[in-house]
Amino acid sequence: MSVAEAEAREVQLEAPSGLWSEAWRRVRRNPAAIVGFVLVTVFVVVALFAPLVAPYGPLEQGLEGTLNFASPSWSHPFGLDPLGRDLFSRVVYGARFSLLIGVVSVAVGLSIGLVIGAVAGYLGGWIDSILMRLMDVMLSIPGLLLAIGIVAALGPGLTQIMVAVGATQIPIFARLLRGSILATREADYVLAARSVGVPRRTILVSHILPNSLSPVIVQGTLALATAIIDVAGLGFLGLGPQDPSTPEWGTMLTDTTRYLQTAPYLALIPGGAIVVSVLGFNLIGDALREALDPRFRGRA
Amino acid sequence: MLRFVVRRLLLLVPILLGLSIVVFFWIRALPGGPAQALLGERATPETIAQIERQYGLDQPVHVQYWKYLERTTHFDLGTSVASRRPVTDELAERFPATIELALAAMLFSVVFGIPLGFIAAKRYGTWLDHASLVGSLIGISIPIFFLAILLKYVFAVKLGLLPSVGRISVLIDIPHPTKFYVLDAILAGNPSALWDVLKHLILPAIALGSIPLAIIARITRAAVLDVQNEDYVRTARAKGLPPRVVDGRHIFRNALLPIVTIIGLQTGLLLSGAVLTETVFAFPGMGTWLVQAIRNRDFPVLQGGILFVSLVFVLVNLLVDITYALINPRIRVS
Repeated sequence: MSVAEAEAREVQLEAPSGLWSEAWRRVRRNPAAIVGFVLVTVFVVVALFAPLVAPYGPLEQGLEGTLNFASPSWSHPFGLDPLGRDLFSRVVYGARFSLLIGVVSVAVGLSIGLVIGAVAGYLGGWIDSILMRLMDVMLSIPGLLLAIGIVAALGPGLTQIMVAVGATQIPIFARLLRGSILATREADYVLAARSVGVPRRTILVSHILPNSLSPVIVQGTLALATAIIDVAGLGFLGLGPQDPSTPEWGTMLTDTTRYLQTAPYLALIPGGAIVVSVLGFNLIGDALREALDPRFRGRA
Repeated sequence: MLRFVVRRLLLLVPILLGLSIVVFFWIRALPGGPAQALLGERATPETIAQIERQYGLDQPVHVQYWKYLERTTHFDLGTSVASRRPVTDELAERFPATIELALAAMLFSVVFGIPLGFIAAKRYGTWLDHASLVGSLIGISIPIFFLAILLKYVFAVKLGLLPSVGRISVLIDIPHPTKFYVLDAILAGNPSALWDVLKHLILPAIALGSIPLAIIARITRAAVLDVQNEDYVRTARAKGLPPRVVDGRHIFRNALLPIVTIIGLQTGLLLSGAVLTETVFAFPGMGTWLVQAIRNRDFPVLQGGILFVSLVFVLVNLLVDITYALINPRIRVS
């Protein structure tokens, strides 16, 4: 330990603060995190208030009196797509789908993964072995292929995508929480709770879980980024929403390679929207990881 | 060491069994069952019954599973519905293309990723370090198919420097004994064919290699930062070794362990995950094969393909684990 680090510890001892308040303090000081928060806020606001932000409806056609695409102009800042729909409005409405599918699929993966991880980690023994081998099998199928297989079985559609992308995240969360619980299970405060006769479920819910959650929160943020990319990927492959006119970002990119010569903005704009929103979640996830990692504590 | 390898191989057995069960039941979970899935819209009760007899689908499930296992272990993955050819024959044509692409992508990401991460760590805290961090974060945030479209637009459509689809120009005719086109072109002694094949590999390899590049750069940076403050590095510096020797012999060598691991894991992913890149560049590998199978509802191909790809993925990861243990004696003991 360097002198500076030793001093930092002392300062910390004088003014003790909780893990979360200290993490929050450090996140606020991190410029990358601020950029991430701004990007994500814009994304969420646009998604929630799409009808107010978008000048046209996502399905309104023939805006220039023709069915052809048109390059960006003052009246249509992102141009028109091949069916004469305003691209800006479609990208704005697309934010809704990405946010909805992303959040729901991560919620699916997280909740099921957490239950499996918590049960396996806390109970241990043969239940743990069986559950973890099951997770190993799921992890042995590469993520996108697993999602493709599930969508192929269930048929294309919004709900199916959410289930498929969520399923790919189950083993990741399950393993993460299990590892984290195994580490906290032997902690003194858990031993203390057990010795005074606190019931098992209460120990799990109010002692172990809260202390095992920080890696899960980091992973959850990063998983949102992955989910948005995976959903767009499935949409790009034609496994997205059944109605191809749905303004989903990945689906919007599907046919654009055909028009690259004449209308590259058709690809650039929805693609850019994906990059910006994914980058936002990745920046926050990274900053959170640094802020919550005990190795970085007391440094900032 | 032998004990470690054997133990890891034994651990593989339940995973492979589980995998085969998942894939086996997956096709039985399809709406209408496998016979309906095979026949599609042409299905009538009579044809369904006939197919079920033909494929033994009228037998009890455990008998079916046992037969499936028997067939699979004899490399019989069934017949493609679309082409009426054995799935293994198609696989033998497609997999070399994906291996070639994955290796090219890995080469790209290693050649640029390691130096980038190393420099970032050596210049820790400077603008260069920040730039490389931001760059790698953007690299991770770009959907691979979007990057592929961008590359195609700039280098194929706008500049016309590189071909945008396929593995080789239609006008070039060389024999393909190995199905590895780079190797085939060398064997044919045809330099213009070789150049053509390499040109076809560049854009897909860059697109596919971008995420591994970002990850390798980040891991290299973190590993070098870790090692840099070790006592033996300080000792080496203190006894007056030139910085370049310390960098190469003391820092880089010891930082290599996590880097090699991540390279291995990423290779496993690339071998299986080129679906999107291959689709953009119409590259005839495993990815486009599986996507076509989805469009055609070609379930034997999907079943065999997913099983095979997962098998490769698991085996590559096992290989990485064993190599890791080989170079790091501490793992073997625990």
